[in-house]
Amino acid sequence: MLAKLTGWLLLGIVRLLTGAQARWYGCPPKAEQRIYFANHQSHADLVMIWAALPEELRTITRPIAARDYWANTPFKRWITTEVFNAVYVERAATVPAAAGQPTAPAEPEAPPPPPARAAAAPQAERIEPSMEPLLPMAPPIVDVTPEAFDEVQGRLDLPAPPPLPPVAPPAMEPELPSPAAAPASDPLAPLVEALRSGDSIIIFPEGTRGHTGEPQKFKSGLYTLATMFPEVVLVPAWIDNVQRVMPKGEIVPVPILCSVTFGAPLRVEEGEERRPFLDRARAAVIALRDV
Amino acid sequence: MNQFLRSLTPTQQVAALFLIVFGLLVIASTAALFLSFKERRNPVHDAAWQAELAHYRKLLGTTWFMVIVFWVGWALGETVATVLFALIAFFALREFITLSPTRRGDHRSLILAFFVVLPIQFWLVATARFDLFTVFIPVYVFLAIPVASALADDPSHFLERNAKLQWGIMVCVYGMSHVPALLLLSFPGYEGKSAFLVFFLVFVVQTSVLVQHVISRRTQRKPFAPNVSRSFNWTSWGIGIVVASLVGALFSFITPFKFGQALAVSVIACISGSMGHLVMKALKRDRGIPNWGKKGVGVTGANGLLDRVDALCFAAPIFFHSIRWYFNL
Repeated sequence: MLAKLTGWLLLGIVRLLTGAQARWYGCPPKAEQRIYFANHQSHADLVMIWAALPEELRTITRPIAARDYWANTPFKRWITTEVFNAVYVERAATVPAAAGQPTAPAEPEAPPPPPARAAAAPQAERIEPSMEPLLPMAPPIVDVTPEAFDEVQGRLDLPAPPPLPPVAPPAMEPELPSPAAAPASDPLAPLVEALRSGDSIIIFPEGTRGHTGEPQKFKSGLYTLATMFPEVVLVPAWIDNVQRVMPKGEIVPVPILCSVTFGAPLRVEEGEERRPFLDRARAAVIALRDV
Repeated sequence: MNQFLRSLTPTQQVAALFLIVFGLLVIASTAALFLSFKERRNPVHDAAWQAELAHYRKLLGTTWFMVIVFWVGWALGETVATVLFALIAFFALREFITLSPTRRGDHRSLILAFFVVLPIQFWLVATARFDLFTVFIPVYVFLAIPVASALADDPSHFLERNAKLQWGIMVCVYGMSHVPALLLLSFPGYEGKSAFLVFFLVFVVQTSVLVQHVISRRTQRKPFAPNVSRSFNWTSWGIGIVVASLVGALFSFITPFKFGQALAVSVIACISGSMGHLVMKALKRDRGIPNWGKKGVGVTGANGLLDRVDALCFAAPIFFHSIRWYFNL
């Protein structure tokens, strides 16, 4: 009851400030299982899509929230679980600290990857499916390359990590961690779980918030999910103007009309490679800017 | 009849007026509904006829919207009316800013405009501090906004950005705030009837815009400024002003004005209103949009409120200040 009221209040504020207009161009709003993927410009993007969806879909569509930020106070945890019904994902809560140190406190038993990343990557990889607050855990696997770390970031809706100190990049390794490499630690696991249970999800495949204009290259999480769940409909969306409402570093939003344009669904073609598909998905999102 | 109307209290008179207006609107809407059932034999004519009718219904919708807004404002008292107009100003400014590109450095100025300037201006109106409310925006705000922008440390397009923002505030906040201000003007012997003044202004301005529109569609004259408006020409403009001013003069019995005075203030209101409409059209053309609604053209969700109030935003301050000056209120 209280959650519902809060939801309405939030919706009212969002509508007052942004209009939260939904424009369904390529597909109607429909209660089928979907993955919405959109450009990412602002922290408010998630709320924008959430507010643009019709009420019936809002309850079955789950946005993604970073656990270290959204679950660190009881109120935030309550609002993300009860109002947004969010899927929690992990991110490196200690990245800033770790990145600030020239030599991270690498575990002695860890293999010697680049020091700063060694500290950051395991944290990013860590998965905790329960709703419990984050508990200190021993870093599990550490065979993570910078490339893989980027992948991890790319799969999730995470703010940009602080720039890491320049380290010599190690030899290239396979971009995707092999499925054998401890699936329990896969950051996509909560999303997979949500999709298995029949919910729709909202993801931002750029990984980090972009600047205005063109979205960045898409990261591969979208492809992975699309191939894992071929029956789930992939809907591209373009969120317009939100970066003007609350630019980075500001805390007071200004009222500027925003809209979310939903495009025609996409699917992974037979035998389509990862990169062409991701480029195609990105093009589909960008194309919605001008409709 | 006239005797009967005069015997009513001011409140009853205003209520009677709204009753008449709503009655007329119901008749017009019912007529539109029945006309939409009618079918022309020639399919081409029929399509044109249906398009014309759809346009007419849109205008009617606007009129309904405005009348209901005014009715609610009147029914709930002056404070509520002021809040109502503050909300309209807020939404209009939101639309204006959405379609005028701002930069990152404008953020603080925008916060100032929406959350400081707008509430203060309408609060000044509600508390009837006329001297401050007429200069608050043109003096204090217009000098404060560039300061906020300069402090944001972004010099690129500085003058343009500030001009845009100030112009938006001028039209949407300053102009709109003069409509509820009319409610607070106290003409001797006219207490409790200022709602008529607001109605008078809106009615006259809306009539002139409507007549102009209809005439320019009928006559197909050469537009005077085709790059700005394809429908604006001096003939239909003149006819619109004359018709609306005469209508205004006929309605002088609801205002504190005599026949001639009502005619004069109607002319002033109509000219400023129609010119304001034209100015806003130029702005829209500059942004490459047919109207503030931008439907089907762009991505922004502006829904065209500014289209409906732009004439009023220009007419209200001029109307207000001219009668205030002339009648020495």
